[in-house]
Amino acid sequence: MALLPRLRRFARNLTRNPHDADDMVQIAIERAITRADQRQPDARLDGWMFKIVRNAWIDEVRSRGRRDKIFAPEAAGEHVGSEVIEQEMTLMSVQAAMLRLPEEQRMAVGLVLIEGLSYKEAAEVLEVPIGTLTSRLARGREALQVLLGGEGEIA
Amino acid sequence: MTISDETIMAYSDGELGGEERAAVERAIRENPELEKRLARHRALRDRITLAYSAELSEPVPERLLAAARRAATSPTTGKIINLNAAQAAMARQAARAGSRAANESSYKPGWRSLGGIAAGILLGLGVGYGLWQQGGGPIARDAGGALIATGGLKSALTTQLASEQTPTSRVHIGITFQDRAGRFCRSFALSGAAAPVGVACHHGAEWQIESLMRGPAGEDGGQYRTAGTEMPPLLLKSIEAEISGEPLDQAAEAEARQQGWQAAAR
Repeated sequence: MALLPRLRRFARNLTRNPHDADDMVQIAIERAITRADQRQPDARLDGWMFKIVRNAWIDEVRSRGRRDKIFAPEAAGEHVGSEVIEQEMTLMSVQAAMLRLPEEQRMAVGLVLIEGLSYKEAAEVLEVPIGTLTSRLARGREALQVLLGGEGEIA
Repeated sequence: MTISDETIMAYSDGELGGEERAAVERAIRENPELEKRLARHRALRDRITLAYSAELSEPVPERLLAAARRAATSPTTGKIINLNAAQAAMARQAARAGSRAANESSYKPGWRSLGGIAAGILLGLGVGYGLWQQGGGPIARDAGGALIATGGLKSALTTQLASEQTPTSRVHIGITFQDRAGRFCRSFALSGAAAPVGVACHHGAEWQIESLMRGPAGEDGGQYRTAGTEMPPLLLKSIEAEISGEPLDQAAEAEARQQGWQAAAR
């Protein structure tokens, strides 16, 4: 398990901005220490940390009052590695598609499909009922199918 | 039977169990259209997983590593804040929900909880100790999620006297003492530069790791250190906060070992 890279990845999906993401991770680590007593004994560490990151972001957005101004035009361009061109194009399009999802769907997809949480765990992180999580996930997936290449229609 | 796309999705994510699962599997066998939808869900999941896997191998910025290190090495400060915060939270909880909530609260005074989280972050970081990751490492989680000593660390905690160890012992025992609950606790250091140091307390048949932090980097380039002399100040402070009375002397340490480290009032 490598928690820190996963926290960063989750935070990037959340904030759509790598710098904000790292700020949120740092705040979350600091908060985790002082809030250790609030963690349910059976809660997974990753889910608990995701929740702290998310709450830190909610606080941040509120205090900035600039939610509508946040875009991450460069986010996709930062994932340049040694991949072959074809794979890189796939990477960029998946991430570009993710950026176009509404936050609630992006979070559901991120927690379940990228971070591998169960529906129940993801619902707890987002503090919504499991049915809400399931429908957000379904809508997010459907939107991704459409955005990622015309295989969206169900015959 | 009609199967909704949400049900297929939940099935593809391994969320269905028992009856529901069997029903979906039957329906899929009978209906190639459902099979196509399932394949579509799986393909999307694979595609997303792949697209985001590269991020995990990106280098983590130093400021985050530093924050995580501080988290992992500050059980003392964290705990002091925590004890107060936990007591206040418990009082609020009791006021809200009556005494039942307070009785059920899992809050326990003393060492608990923080070490596990700090260690989790530390382990999550993979701070360079292959030994932590392997099944045979010195520390494992028990069924309840608590960190416990295993293998060579466990046997050193159980049998090794501070006076008997040699510079080549793989685990160094520092001081032995009783905490406020009367349990026997021992500080330990694993060999190697920056290898973890910590405190374990005997509980039941196990040694629970109560405190765990990165050891001093050491100028000795990974040579064995002398326990006690290089204990990080934070570890000493956390011991000071929990110790009852004085550390055991050589005779008392041997006596406690003889008695199987059973907690006793002092």
